[in-house]
Amino acid sequence: MNEALMISNALLWVAVLAALIGLFALARQIGVLYERVAPMGALMIDTGPKVGEPAPSFELPTLTGNARVRIGGAADKSTLLFFLSPTCPVCKKLLPILRSVNETERSWLRVVLASDGEQPEHLAFYEKADLKPFPYLLSQDLGIGFHVGKLPYAVLMDEQGRITAKGLVNSREQLESLFTAKELGVASVQDFIDHQHDHQRA
Amino acid sequence: MDALLIDPVLARACGSALAVILLLGAWQKLRDMAVFEAAVELYRLLPDRMVPLFARALPMLEAAAGAALLLESTRGIGLVLALVVLGISTGGVLINLLRGHTDIDCGCGGADGNTRLSWALPVRNAVLMLLAVAGAQAGLARPLVWVDFITVAGGTLALLGIYAAGNQLLANHPRLMQLRNGS
Repeated sequence: MNEALMISNALLWVAVLAALIGLFALARQIGVLYERVAPMGALMIDTGPKVGEPAPSFELPTLTGNARVRIGGAADKSTLLFFLSPTCPVCKKLLPILRSVNETERSWLRVVLASDGEQPEHLAFYEKADLKPFPYLLSQDLGIGFHVGKLPYAVLMDEQGRITAKGLVNSREQLESLFTAKELGVASVQDFIDHQHDHQRA
Repeated sequence: MDALLIDPVLARACGSALAVILLLGAWQKLRDMAVFEAAVELYRLLPDRMVPLFARALPMLEAAAGAALLLESTRGIGLVLALVVLGISTGGVLINLLRGHTDIDCGCGGADGNTRLSWALPVRNAVLMLLAVAGAQAGLARPLVWVDFITVAGGTLALLGIYAAGNQLLANHPRLMQLRNGS
């Protein structure tokens, strides 16, 4: 009798733990589903403009209203469009990195920040985080145009306005991998090496 | 119910589950300090100069509480530390809930660090505090046999599983609401 109870007990533990692992896995999958289905409040599937395709065109006023910024189409520099939100801690972590990228890559790259929401909140964030070196765009259409689901999200466009890399960016490494993707798109290996040397010198 | 509450098996399972939760929480925060600092700042409770200090002190305290709960001799200190850590974080959440400033990351790790503030968080923390109280009890003095150790191990893992699943559902909830309101 005792032995039977012990075996049943052990079996039940295995069953309970397996059921809990299953429950957790299901909850995670549902979370991923929600994320895919509801980027920034609009119903759509994660497709968006693909790498290699021309980026959708926008011309938007900056947050402070003293300039207009063109996204997409030919430009004299590449553009890094960085989607962020004042309430996203990971975005805040990346700001110093963006600042240094903006400085060191100035010769070929323009960094543009983008978000959506109420202007006063963003103005306060803009002041406090000292984002004056960057054009800051406030537009829901921009996020929808690039099918941004999760923040912080970055899109890298070349001088012709084609998307060369894009994706979710959680760390310095992921941000740099966008540049690597662009560099690897260079015509030849020699070009690629030269380009890297340029960067090291910069 | 009283007899059940003070059984040492139950006490040990609650205590070790909470210890693991605290240690993992501390590790998550210390691993990505910049993110936790930003999360603390978003709570808008501390002057800017205090934020880095607080963002370092809280996870340290959390880790100390977790470690102390695991050892028999320091269990009492562990309980106090755990209640202090949980009390401070719950207080921060409550203040922001009351002033309606809920659209921020809770900074409490959980699922991918995407959990928004909601009333479910204080409830969750209250349950964790109960776990701490139960886990700090010495429990009824009865001879333990080997099956009891399996029960403690199984119970600890089960509590952790429930906690992880609950956290994930908590993180999912605002997205579900967004979906409902959007359609």
